[in-house]
Amino acid sequence: MKSPIWGEFKQARDDVHNLGPLQRIGKETKRYRDDEEVDYCIVGLGSAGGVLLQRLAKAGFQVLGLEAGPFWDTERDWVSDEKGSHKLYWNDLRITGGTDPLALGENNSGKGVGGGSVHWAAFTPRFHPSDFRVYTQDGVGADWPISYDELKPYYELLEREIPVAGPAYFPWGDPHGYPYGPHPLGGVGDVLVKGCTKLGIRVCAGGPVAILSGSHGDRPHCIYRGFCIQGCKVGAKASTLITHIPEAIRYGAEVRALSMASRISMRNREQANGVFYFDREGREHFQRAKAVIVSGYAIETPRLLLNSACQGHENGLANSSGTLGRYLMAQAGNVVLGRFPGLIRMYKTPPAHALTEEFYETDPKRDFARGFAIQTVAPLPVAFAKQMMVAKGAWGWGMRRVMMDYNHWATLGVLGEILPWPDNRVELAEERDGFGLRVAKVTFNLHDNDKKLIEFGKNKVMQVMHAAGAEEVVQEARYAHLVGACRMGADQGTSVVDKFGRTHDVSNLFVCDGSVLPTQGSANPGLTIQCLAARTADYLIAQGTRIFTSEIRDMGTPPVRRELAVKDSFTKGVPRLR
Amino acid sequence: MTNHSNERELLPLDPKTRKPREQMEQPGYYPGYKTLGQKKFWDATTRAVVEERVGNIPPIRFFSAEELPVISAVCDRIVPQHDRLPQFRIPVLNWIDERLAKNEISGYRFEDMPDHRDAYRLGIQAIDATARIKYGKSFPELRPLEQDTILKSIHDGEKWAAHEIWERMSIDRFWHLLVQDCVAAYYAHPWAWDEIGYGGPAYPRAYTRLEGGLPEPWEVDEKRYEWDGPESSLSDAYEESGATSNTPAHGQGGTH
Repeated sequence: MKSPIWGEFKQARDDVHNLGPLQRIGKETKRYRDDEEVDYCIVGLGSAGGVLLQRLAKAGFQVLGLEAGPFWDTERDWVSDEKGSHKLYWNDLRITGGTDPLALGENNSGKGVGGGSVHWAAFTPRFHPSDFRVYTQDGVGADWPISYDELKPYYELLEREIPVAGPAYFPWGDPHGYPYGPHPLGGVGDVLVKGCTKLGIRVCAGGPVAILSGSHGDRPHCIYRGFCIQGCKVGAKASTLITHIPEAIRYGAEVRALSMASRISMRNREQANGVFYFDREGREHFQRAKAVIVSGYAIETPRLLLNSACQGHENGLANSSGTLGRYLMAQAGNVVLGRFPGLIRMYKTPPAHALTEEFYETDPKRDFARGFAIQTVAPLPVAFAKQMMVAKGAWGWGMRRVMMDYNHWATLGVLGEILPWPDNRVELAEERDGFGLRVAKVTFNLHDNDKKLIEFGKNKVMQVMHAAGAEEVVQEARYAHLVGACRMGADQGTSVVDKFGRTHDVSNLFVCDGSVLPTQGSANPGLTIQCLAARTADYLIAQGTRIFTSEIRDMGTPPVRRELAVKDSFTKGVPRLR
Repeated sequence: MTNHSNERELLPLDPKTRKPREQMEQPGYYPGYKTLGQKKFWDATTRAVVEERVGNIPPIRFFSAEELPVISAVCDRIVPQHDRLPQFRIPVLNWIDERLAKNEISGYRFEDMPDHRDAYRLGIQAIDATARIKYGKSFPELRPLEQDTILKSIHDGEKWAAHEIWERMSIDRFWHLLVQDCVAAYYAHPWAWDEIGYGGPAYPRAYTRLEGGLPEPWEVDEKRYEWDGPESSLSDAYEESGATSNTPAHGQGGTH
């Protein structure tokens, strides 16, 4: 085959905005004037912000999303290339420190409409019921102000909306099945299944991942090209950019991209009245809003609130508890790399396609609380070379040699629960960014329980790798995901927001993103963040205009608004019979 | 590049005959495999980005005339390419320079590290100072084995000289910064993809043979050959780098 039958593939149309190869929206979209007061201004259009924008618009609110990065056209802006995908990440300066400093940027932070959901690997396990009562059960971490049962209807809803492919029976936590069938395995999934089976560990093949195993509405199924974390041009992997933003726009929401929020403005001590932001030329604007939702993720959200310090809120907005920025969490993400005699070719298939949660729960026989999952990962060449630099100390001819064996290696990841600690935090550094805003300083220290968990988890994964037949096994310590730093809680003295994401201190200011998580389990947080966003939206819709004017907090659970799910959630795709 | 070495001592060896292996257009175990041969099957944006990378090498703008010989010799040892025919070597240094000239960072700076541009300037000074203390010559004038000895000391976290620089900057983190930038430049190039048998872009066409490490119809099977690193090198062996618990080496890239 020299060439595609109709000639080389041509550039996509530029008179429309492409959100995947089939889904298109018009280039002209709504624009509110600065002096128009919108109902909700959402800061950050990632996993949570995208869902909130869609729900609130569909329910009839005037809603505007400010996004620091661009509004991607997936056909024209994205590439099947590691180096060329660097722009998807939050690359602006942050300072990282502590005894175990976190790598940021491409490791865990997105920029642009869709946010981190553009470059997540799209593993979508639910949290376990035990995750919501860690303190009660294990005497460590914290309890959530809600239970699993309160989030369960949203798991069921979002698993259909985005939708999730996985097994018909998922045995861990609250057992459940998935609407789309599991994916075929690649070489790395084979390794995990083989190793686990040999050791008698239950393992789940082909999901759960928010990647289409069959086509769905105007989104094609996966083509197994392996560039999930470089942005899915195929449109098979879910991101709020392609799942929720198009419908938000259809219902009249405004997406204001390349707009970097600088501070939240207060009408008086109790009420916010809008957001200051910089446009792409660096001009500052003020957008009036009846209520503000900050969805900037675990670093930018506390940074914005800290940078919004003002009279009456001298230590940062919504920080009367002193916990704003504290209890930041990353998950242990050690990568275990095994070399096999035969070829693996791990660049094919999504990196995320098989896992086990057999070690998720606290086991009294172990000397630490909580647990970990084991998941497939599959670095492309540049990421793999960086891993070999650490795992084998490779450079020079040794680097060239191990890279020539790239196709013989398989990689598995630990995904381990690190507990929330007050000294792991986001503060403001003295350095300033291009807009003159103080940048975030992130401090991260492993504690005793975390270290024991990582040691055990790493060794267990190495055992699995050996059992699968690897002739050489090495590992690299790293971390995955970021949550916490604006945690939710019932006690105003030890948390930043209530169980619906409303800040304890400012009645019309909400936080809705990964930063509200009190603990993180050993599940990838993306799905849970989207579920929390749908739940906060239902609360705001149920409360109506009271949010804008009343100080009274109704803590009653709102009804689940299934009718606000994105189109095609229940009518398109692969039928699964109950 | 290196003054006192002939090209032959820089070449990998045949382990049986101990003779240098001939230079190749494409080293590695996938002879005849060309990712660029598939470019008509790639989407137009990806094709343009990769073609630009091959065809349009950025000029040196960041490194000064004094720094250039040192960093150039360093890159030649961190990603040695003497097994490649000269016209098929990948311009690693130009891409590092490009990143620094544009001041492109990856979203963070360790609190015990200076700004990345300063880190390079300081690191180049430290490497050259170490060469002068150890061998009485500047780094580019050293023999390849001597150059590797200097670089290996930094890999190992040993501070033989330039103590005032290593007080301002973590030696382990500098090593990782340098190696990462070199490998990120090399393995972003389609010729490196050919070398390691990586399939490269596959949209809109797709991969279809997912299990068992099987090649697509346009990929090729592995054909291994044995080789040893040149005797003038220290890098064809694996030892953990010198990272201590104070400066843990951990992954920078996103994988999950």
